[in-house]
Amino acid sequence: MVLGLVKGLGITLKNMTKPRVTYRYPDEPLKMPDRFRGIQYLDPEKCIVCNQCARICPTDCIQLTGKKNPDPEKKGKVLDTFDINFEICILCDLCTEVCPTEAIVMTNNYELAVYSRDELFKDIRWLHENNQNIRSENSTNLIKKPGGKTT
Amino acid sequence: MLRTEEMLLNVGPQHPSTHGVLRLIVKIDGEMIVDAEPVIGYLHRGTEKLAEDLNYTQIIPYTDRMDYLSAMTNNYAIVHATEQLMGLEIPERAEYLRVIVMELNRIASHLVWMGTYLLDVGAMSPFLYAFRDREEILNLFNELCGARITYNYMRVGGVKWDAPPGWIEKVGTFVEYMKKQMRDYHALITGNEIFISRTKGVGVYSKELAIQYGLSGANLRVTGIDWDLRKKQPYSIYSRFEFDVPTGKTGDLYDKYLCRMNEVVESLKIIEQAVNQFPEGGSIMGKVPRVLRVPEGEIYVGIESPRGELGCHIVSKGKDKPWRLKFRRPSFYNLQILPVLLKGENISNLVAILGGIDIVLGEVDC
Repeated sequence: MVLGLVKGLGITLKNMTKPRVTYRYPDEPLKMPDRFRGIQYLDPEKCIVCNQCARICPTDCIQLTGKKNPDPEKKGKVLDTFDINFEICILCDLCTEVCPTEAIVMTNNYELAVYSRDELFKDIRWLHENNQNIRSENSTNLIKKPGGKTT
Repeated sequence: MLRTEEMLLNVGPQHPSTHGVLRLIVKIDGEMIVDAEPVIGYLHRGTEKLAEDLNYTQIIPYTDRMDYLSAMTNNYAIVHATEQLMGLEIPERAEYLRVIVMELNRIASHLVWMGTYLLDVGAMSPFLYAFRDREEILNLFNELCGARITYNYMRVGGVKWDAPPGWIEKVGTFVEYMKKQMRDYHALITGNEIFISRTKGVGVYSKELAIQYGLSGANLRVTGIDWDLRKKQPYSIYSRFEFDVPTGKTGDLYDKYLCRMNEVVESLKIIEQAVNQFPEGGSIMGKVPRVLRVPEGEIYVGIESPRGELGCHIVSKGKDKPWRLKFRRPSFYNLQILPVLLKGENISNLVAILGGIDIVLGEVDC
């Protein structure tokens, strides 16, 4: 009648001696793997204002504007403003995937809670200063180069 | 003569045992359920409508959020339908990666079901063991695609990431580990007298009723019908693997439990074979045009998600966006049988029967 219960208790006893599987987070930092998607880092120097990230974004949370290159000898545009509305960003990673110059890349930072909604509006300065734990491996050119091998 | 009357009982939408935001209006006579009416739609986000304004790549992250316990199969449903309509060829390596992650996700999903179901019927510790082992799978996914739940891993024509060095070996180690764990689970739960008395002979339905209600997945197989889309309409590279389709005999909740546990074993078999056959090199992305324009036409594909037949119906007018997208979500169809099953049951069986169906509300409401 109680044989099954006793058998089950055996599993409990067996696990008592096993090492702990939980982490001591937040007392100890928890390292995420390199590919982890946290919040974006932006390098305004690299951006060529092609607008691809804003176009691919499924939730339409990226707004950016460019201006004429101040150096009259250089062609093209430079980035003027770049905003991510982090309230609606779903961290799908598509913006970093389409970026041709790796101007926008992912970081591993995952502690993203803030006290007010306004702080979730990330502008060019914030994104540029967010330069810790940048992902080393980027899957850019995946959409653009058909059949291309990724590293 | 004591005057009695029926009572209306509201269960949910915020209730730990409804697995999300399902609301049930239950009419009870004493402890007997006279009538039950599910109210759904609390998690409706209009994915299908939103998809009409998104291109095919942009839809993939939205599918992650439908059945959030097995986002990989959802990813696959949309990319598979698109690929079929475009007639794309998928590289071997990508196919193997897809199968491995889908089967891992099936195990993770069944572990969540098993843990929470045991919690529903009153057992606390299996939940902790199940989540411990699920964590192993989530860590593997985290390493592979950088997310634990919302993977956004598959792309039309392939997958986003190649396996990092050593990842395939890790999957192989996990399979061995999980096989050992299955023995522990059976020792812990399968013979437990309390669990048996809560589930044996409860929530039984016939083959005919299951077919009439369009049930699929373990909910259908538990009645003894051998129906698995991986076998019956093989997609991807499933025809290369040897595995069985576990079916039930009596159709009660205990059988459902055994059925799903055996499915985990079969998934482990598939992963083991896929790991052994995994191609050395090769591309992970097929030849895909830069802008995905799907030719005009219509397609329906059904795949076997952990919960049943997950269908994706695309109507394309030749643009880069679908003209209409429809998902056949298994949880939604499986839930329809609930009022029938609950009628005449004791109120204490309500949660046991609801849990046995294995619904995910993100998928029911879509």
